[in-house]
Amino acid sequence: MNKLLVSPSPHIHSKTSTASLMRDVVLALLPAAIVSVVFYGLGEIVVLGTSIISCIVLEYLITKYLLKQDNTICDWSAVVTGILLGLNLPASTPWWVVFIGAVVAIGVAKMTFGGLGQNVFNPALAGRVFLLVSFPTYMTDWQIPGGLFGADAVSGATPLGVIKEGLLGGAKLSDLTAQYSWSDMIFANIGGSAGEISAIALLAGFGYLLLRKVIRPYITLSIWATVALVSLAFSLAAPEQFTGPAFNLLTGGMILGSCFMATDYVTSPMSIKGGIVFGVGIGFITMMIRYFGSYPEGMSFAILLMNAAVPLLNNWFHQKKYGRA
Amino acid sequence: MVLCLFGTCLFCSAVLGGVYAITEKPIAETNKKIQEAATGAVLVRNAEGTGLADGSSILPKADTVLVDGTQFEYFTQVLDGQPIAYAIKSTVTGFGGPLTIMVGISPERKILSTKVLSHSETPGLGAKCDSDEKFISQWRGLDLSVTKLEVQKPVKDGIDAITASTITSKAYTKAVAAAVAALDAIKSSETSSVISSEVEKSLKQEVPNE
Amino acid sequence: MSKFNLVTKGLVKDNPTFVLLLGMCPTLATTTSAINGLSMGLATLFVLVLSNIAISALAPAVPDKVHIPVYIVVIATFVTVLEFLMKAFVPDVYASLGLFIPLIVVNCIVLGRAEAFASKNGVLDSALDGIGVGLGFTCSLTVIGLVRELLGGLSAFGWKIPGTGDGMLAFVMAPGAFLVLGYLMVLFNKFLAKK
Repeated sequence: MNKLLVSPSPHIHSKTSTASLMRDVVLALLPAAIVSVVFYGLGEIVVLGTSIISCIVLEYLITKYLLKQDNTICDWSAVVTGILLGLNLPASTPWWVVFIGAVVAIGVAKMTFGGLGQNVFNPALAGRVFLLVSFPTYMTDWQIPGGLFGADAVSGATPLGVIKEGLLGGAKLSDLTAQYSWSDMIFANIGGSAGEISAIALLAGFGYLLLRKVIRPYITLSIWATVALVSLAFSLAAPEQFTGPAFNLLTGGMILGSCFMATDYVTSPMSIKGGIVFGVGIGFITMMIRYFGSYPEGMSFAILLMNAAVPLLNNWFHQKKYGRA
Repeated sequence: MVLCLFGTCLFCSAVLGGVYAITEKPIAETNKKIQEAATGAVLVRNAEGTGLADGSSILPKADTVLVDGTQFEYFTQVLDGQPIAYAIKSTVTGFGGPLTIMVGISPERKILSTKVLSHSETPGLGAKCDSDEKFISQWRGLDLSVTKLEVQKPVKDGIDAITASTITSKAYTKAVAAAVAALDAIKSSETSSVISSEVEKSLKQEVPNE
Repeated sequence: MSKFNLVTKGLVKDNPTFVLLLGMCPTLATTTSAINGLSMGLATLFVLVLSNIAISALAPAVPDKVHIPVYIVVIATFVTVLEFLMKAFVPDVYASLGLFIPLIVVNCIVLGRAEAFASKNGVLDSALDGIGVGLGFTCSLTVIGLVRELLGGLSAFGWKIPGTGDGMLAFVMAPGAFLVLGYLMVLFNKFLAKK
């Protein structure tokens, strides 16, 4: 009975398949990956390499021996998960920690739910958050970019981390932000996880995906708008306590998260209205965690929390059936 | 029906009363031991480290002292009627919430030891203030004239922070500093009460035995 | 049903944790280590056996309308007795389990067995049923606790594997409880299905 899935029209015919979509995402992530390898050097290659290879191998082994299904590694989704996970980790992460992250991402968050298309949570983010909670010492040891050919990287905290720590210690916000210039943030001169460092490279990839119509922009835009509005309101009310919109949009995992993680097909709502609510939720939760939470960055938590709300959003915002509007 | 319920309740109350009567004494003793373990651990120990220094005892009642509007609860360890150490309870705001520690300190402003009573720090990071031997050991026998109560990176003459948990380490250091301030207040109140006792003989019984 | 089957039924086929999914609150909250899981299991076992015995003896005399209040009063009495005893003689265990000891009163396994079994069966059978289900609960909690302790703290029953640092801390925290419970349930049921 249930073998045929009947969905309301319109049915779109196109040449796109999962594999071609995912290949586009991989291409879009390449600039950021290259930039982070150049900035972080060998450590980043190890992290990205371990992450991608273990994601592919794990997916192959699980589909073949545990689920006994046709293997799905040819759809490139494991590669995307691998790159995203790698970009979300500090370059100094030991390879075995990265491997555990891949096990959680592919094994727990993706395959336990039944593989691509069935997973509730974004696999790469689930892996990242698991590592953040499990190995806080490795996961908070960010490097100030030293470079592939340059001097040794210096270990340090992310701008969000520095500010959270400073504010709790009673320092003034203006003194704390003074050490970061806007150009540093845009061109990757601040400490952060690999994917956090270069806004330009990530935005280039995002633009490519928009051009290829792989993703639609409304989720990303609604996240940005919410973050901007919330941080504007708070920073106007108490400028010495809360960071402003530009700072919040450029730091942390904001760009990587809003462009590549929140827009994941499987774990975001299907309708446009649902997507906008989804984005607003992510932006709001992120800002609440950044301002009032005990972690300096809340992007991953926010996306995962809203992932859990996606079935509900899909239920609330049905796609309208043609002819009955 | 009512009778059955009443009977059951009556019988159960009787059982509970009986068990309470039996366990009352052991519970009181255990609670006292727990309290003593918390305060005693930071005070002057005997040579084997198994208990309080020989001949000394903790005054049974906690005292309080007021410093800048904050009240500090403390216990006094006495030997031959002389205070030889204080266990001062100090609470500050840590990374995740209130952090309460017990600071053992001698009247000569030497820190004997510290112990975490309660905390809500992040597991794996700040929560290590309870278990990180490297962090805990630097408080044992810390001499305030040699070491500064200040978290330093890299460490020169201050406190070494727990890895990746600077805020918790700073809060902990602040709590110890507050305890030191409380000690100074305790000492000055003691000297002043001694003086006042000479003036007002009638208040003699409230003054610690000198 | 033989006396032996009464005991093994609770251990495997009707395992309260992995098959019946009863008593999830203490299961998730107290299994941070093998010792904690074991103590929680034993505490529940104690209450379960005594309340099963008392209720099977009382049941014929209790009018139907008040049977739930009577059962709960009996169960609450045993839990309070247990609480006094733990406070007096094993204060460390009591401190780590804390709130979850009084909460045994509302553990659905205890009332469930009273309703479903003890009220309809003899004293000896009820005692054996209590032992079986209690042991099943104890074993499950100990296994969950052991797995979480091994992964989260690289130690077993408080014995730290020498030369190791921190484990995967997530397993000692709430998410680990759900993950371990879920995967152990899968393994357990796969094993049961094969038999």
